[in-house]
Amino acid sequence: MSRQANRGTESKKMSSELFTLTYGALVTQLCKDYENDEDVNKQLDRMGYNIGVRLIEDFLARSNVGRCHDFRETADVIAKVAFKMYLGITPSITNWSPAGDEFSLILENNPLVDFVELPDNHSSLIYSNLLCGVLRGALEMVQMAVEAKFVQDTLKGDGVTEIRMRFLRRIEDNLPAGEE
Amino acid sequence: MDRVCVCVLPMSSLRPNYPLYIRSTPTENELKFHYMVHTSLDVVDEKISAMGKALVDQRELYLGLLYPTEDYKVYGYVTNSKVKFVMVVDSSNTALRDNEIRSMFRKLHNSYTDVMCNPFYNPGDRIQSRAFDNMVTSMMIQVC
Repeated sequence: MSRQANRGTESKKMSSELFTLTYGALVTQLCKDYENDEDVNKQLDRMGYNIGVRLIEDFLARSNVGRCHDFRETADVIAKVAFKMYLGITPSITNWSPAGDEFSLILENNPLVDFVELPDNHSSLIYSNLLCGVLRGALEMVQMAVEAKFVQDTLKGDGVTEIRMRFLRRIEDNLPAGEE
Repeated sequence: MDRVCVCVLPMSSLRPNYPLYIRSTPTENELKFHYMVHTSLDVVDEKISAMGKALVDQRELYLGLLYPTEDYKVYGYVTNSKVKFVMVVDSSNTALRDNEIRSMFRKLHNSYTDVMCNPFYNPGDRIQSRAFDNMVTSMMIQVC
């Protein structure tokens, strides 16, 4: 109970430069270790997944949002509450599919990629792939299986960064999925 | 056509005073600019050692006019991490005032910091950042 109160009242301010540099160091170290962009992307996704399954508890404790009734509500909560709380940005939601099971998150600026320029030998690296893993892991813990992937990236020359989220199915059994 | 040249040099023990970035416009006579930058390094070193234990603030990072030749003026700027920026401009360009040069060096310093923050950049590598190139281009256009 006291933990909840603590989390609600104080939000520790931290320099975003340190955060950006730490993430950058992480990605470059992975590149050196794996030497292959595809493997790095998978690792980032896996690490993001592990962060997501834990982050969801912190999110639910701090934000007090209730159960979402449909995927649209989920999208709103992700963009307006979660991204704002953890990254300080509010992406916009667009491109809903006709069936209502896919949407795009448009991020105009991505704090993970401040100062970053992708060199030519890493053209297939998805630098912010950690975010996709986080979204996947967090939603899995609230019984939703989703797929998240980047379709546009400012690092690759696009104007904005776009993450496409697709709802796969509701997870019926309550056993949490093991870490991969 | 006015000529100007910009150069960034580190102070690494492996290859001291090897330029990380050197660009001039127009691009002919580049070798002459390289030579001038190299000779001006002696003056830079002299000024650094003369500063000694003085408090280093923004104004003392800027070294000012290093030496004028009959055709060119050379300006210098050094950071606390001993990275030197050297700028060579045409003597005939009298429109450039001191505080304009200072602000150009400040912009260079800021862009250099951004390059350093790129996790893919290893200190000591040649600078190949597009953002840095664009900034230098716009600065050179402003001067000429």
